[in-house]
Amino acid sequence: MTPAWTLTSAFAAALLVLLLPARSAGFAKVIALVGSLVGMVAAAVACLARLSNPSGAVWSFDCDWIPSLGARFHLAADGLSLTLLLLTGIVAVAGVLFSWNVTHRPRAFFAFFMTIIGGVYGVFLSRDAFLLFVFYEIVILPKYMLIAIWGSTNKEYGAMKLTMYSIGASALILIGISVAYAAAGGTSFDIAHLAAASYSPALQSWAFPILFLGFTVLAGIWPFHTWAPTGHVAAPTAASMLLAGVVMKLGAFGALCVAMPLFPLGFAQWQPVIAGLAVIGIIYGALTALSQKDLKFVIGYSSVSHMGFILLGMAAATHWGLRGAVLQMISHGIIAGLLFGIAGRVVYERTHTRDLAALKEFDLWKTLPGVAIAFTLATAASMGMPGFSGFVAEISVVIGLWQAYPWLTIAVAIGIILTGAFSLRALQKTCFPNRTPTDAAAHALPPLTWPEISAISLLLAVSLAIGIYPKPWIVLIDDGLRSPLFNSILSLP
Amino acid sequence: MNYSTLFIQLLPEAVLVVTALLLLGVAVATEAKTGKPIANATASAISAIGVILAGFAIFNMPSNIDSGSQLISMDPLARIFKAVVLGLGLLAILLPPARREIQNPGEFFALILFALTGLSLTSGTNHLLFLFVALELASLSLYLLAGFPRTARASEASLKYFLFGGVSAAFLLFGLSLVYGFSNAATLPELAVKLAENPTSPLAIAGLVMVVVGIGFKLAAAPFHYWAPDVYQGAPATSVALISAASKAVGMVVLVRFLLIGFSAASGSAAWGGMVAGWSLWIGVLAAVSMIFGNVLALAQTSVRRLLAYSAVANTGYLLVGLCANGASAAGAALFYVVVYGLATLGTLAVTAAVERNRGNDSPTSFAGLVHRSPLQAVALLVFLASLAGIPPLAGFAGKFAMFSAALSASTHGGDPGLTWLVGLASIMSAISLYYYLSILKQAFVKESAEAGEESPITASHALAVGIPAAALVVLGLFPALLLDPITAALIGSMSGR
Repeated sequence: MTPAWTLTSAFAAALLVLLLPARSAGFAKVIALVGSLVGMVAAAVACLARLSNPSGAVWSFDCDWIPSLGARFHLAADGLSLTLLLLTGIVAVAGVLFSWNVTHRPRAFFAFFMTIIGGVYGVFLSRDAFLLFVFYEIVILPKYMLIAIWGSTNKEYGAMKLTMYSIGASALILIGISVAYAAAGGTSFDIAHLAAASYSPALQSWAFPILFLGFTVLAGIWPFHTWAPTGHVAAPTAASMLLAGVVMKLGAFGALCVAMPLFPLGFAQWQPVIAGLAVIGIIYGALTALSQKDLKFVIGYSSVSHMGFILLGMAAATHWGLRGAVLQMISHGIIAGLLFGIAGRVVYERTHTRDLAALKEFDLWKTLPGVAIAFTLATAASMGMPGFSGFVAEISVVIGLWQAYPWLTIAVAIGIILTGAFSLRALQKTCFPNRTPTDAAAHALPPLTWPEISAISLLLAVSLAIGIYPKPWIVLIDDGLRSPLFNSILSLP
Repeated sequence: MNYSTLFIQLLPEAVLVVTALLLLGVAVATEAKTGKPIANATASAISAIGVILAGFAIFNMPSNIDSGSQLISMDPLARIFKAVVLGLGLLAILLPPARREIQNPGEFFALILFALTGLSLTSGTNHLLFLFVALELASLSLYLLAGFPRTARASEASLKYFLFGGVSAAFLLFGLSLVYGFSNAATLPELAVKLAENPTSPLAIAGLVMVVVGIGFKLAAAPFHYWAPDVYQGAPATSVALISAASKAVGMVVLVRFLLIGFSAASGSAAWGGMVAGWSLWIGVLAAVSMIFGNVLALAQTSVRRLLAYSAVANTGYLLVGLCANGASAAGAALFYVVVYGLATLGTLAVTAAVERNRGNDSPTSFAGLVHRSPLQAVALLVFLASLAGIPPLAGFAGKFAMFSAALSASTHGGDPGLTWLVGLASIMSAISLYYYLSILKQAFVKESAEAGEESPITASHALAVGIPAAALVVLGLFPALLLDPITAALIGSMSGR
């Protein structure tokens, strides 16, 4: 089972769902589940194979595509890509499970869902900038449709805002990639080829911020993060999980594996600015989350805050920093998926409110103890408690940051305290409100269903597994970071 | 000159003209016999057969055919674009002509064939005078086609198109005569030789400016686009399809021939920090103005046809970006994009025509719930509009990306920014365009229709006019090399005198 199974299974599932006759629309979710399971298993198998043979050649697939441009269909999967593929597979499976009750136009829903998954796999596998950009853009229209058709709360506005931010950012990426392509001789879009070319410092100093910003808008860089909370809140549960869980990682991945290796001198010049924006994002996201009334907005702004750690790890540009950035991509992908799944599906479908004050009335610890336990664990993971993946990721970023910008760690410490504050506030209001017990029967809520339980257990188990035994993940990430792409970044003074 | 070879060269056009005359004869005979005009379907079937036969004539023409005539040059570019014109023309013929049945289909379809004859001749000549005559043959037919169902809207469209077109023809003719006066050369390759000796002659530059203005009208480049919205709104769908797809493709071929073959010595440069007077700068400014004008005005439209007109202006801007770089691969990509653009616009018009027939108007809200009424049309519309917005994996994306990256590589040397300003503007404008395309898709996919009821089914030929472009856009999006490489090779061949 090669890593290509991830890509093909997702697109094949999307196509099959579209071709389903109307009367068997109920099979759509089954096909989507099978497709995403195949992808997850393929990614897991590839990860294990890589772990057992870390020095072997990486899997790759390379063939001609548009000869006159020099664009090739070039996929490859080193350890870094493999971990992100596995993350995508896990979030995809959980997303399908959390969408098990979608009955409004299910075929279209799962077709769009699986298309996004396929596009995300494609980005993580691409080694050709043109191909990467194609997959990056494939995601845009399905995202819009998922939010605009199945969303809630101001859905058309949220969907359009997110789409315009995405396409605007893509325009910047297109400019950045084309500039690199032209300056490298206009013969090839291969990322390794583009990274090996030497660009003048003058060109790098303006081309880098264009390309980097283009990617990081999708990663929620402050002050271009505003699409994220509105988009996440408007989106249906599975789409919020995908957006926060993996689509935001596309931006981070592009920034790390394309923008930085292509223009290392430009990066060195802008490094302090990126670090500053990342820290502002961490603190601003946390402060804003602290004052939200809607549970999904709390999680949306917490995503902005957590994505700041990824940027910060990249800005540190030390080995620990980059490793921490990738770990945080994975960790946040799992935890954001979990939080959005619980808040958007499990809680909202039963209480029909996400308002923190209204949720108080339900007293989840009394009415739905299982949900309260899951939400408590998810909050602990999100806060970066030891034992969960968030801790491993954040500590790596902080170590990396200490080596590069020791003073900034103070700001990060403040951010971590604020994260604790907003997480506990949301947890207390939803699950453990301090109020006199009323008639519990008035708020009798349906119990958890098996798809919900399996999705929650899957995500929690992965977060715990990374938190308790991070070594295999670190080995895989380091395998990716050894690529010559990162030499120029890691050797910066 | 070898007349038998000349006849073989002109066989496609001859087939078109003979079919048109035959069609007129059949129409007269039918009317005399039955007292009723010829049926729409019959007329369109006869003309479709004629176009297909003409296509065979092109594909069976021996390569390297040369009759020695200066008027006709059957170079590789001509070969491809004659086929493109016929293909786009065939798709337009398959469309239902108008919201209401037109009174005299015989004349209508005969005029389409005459327009295609003119367009086909225009794409295959390097001769200044012949170019003008062929272009006017096409234009006069198109003016008439725009006004066909004699409604007030269509008459306004036709008159506006005619008046603006007449002025542009005057510009073109005046420009051509100045160019001829300067060079004493009647063909573009001879002109190139003369111009190389004296590239900054004011007479030649004045002539070039006039020519670009004249062709700019045909291409609907801002600020020469004022006819476009009214024509797109008022004219029958078939005529709009011809104007926006086939006629635009030929306009691009003419412009490419003029700039890259005739005036290559006077290119100048539009590169940032290194601007040199010449057509490149002039085209770059036109491109920027067209992109900004078209995209901004399209945002405010409440009629899908008018929106398509402004989108046509914006797309002309992108096309001119490809020309501005003065490189064969960038211009080749622009020629690829104009074909792709034509397919997408034609398809959108085909779906719009179906919606108009059912809902009575072309406001975006009449597309509401299209996905429930006719899922296949809705999916096709998604393909067309996403391609226009440049979303992969559709051909519009491949075309834009190829055009922009080739424009950059042709203009940057070392670390200088080159055309980054123009390409940057183009990609940001293209991102903005997604907003208005998405506003139509939102109606089709997200909104529910106010009035329930099945869409009345479209005819088989109409379905072909929707389905073929959609399939072509997907295939060309996944494998752009299928068309991009032959066009680029043909352009390079034509530039080097085959």
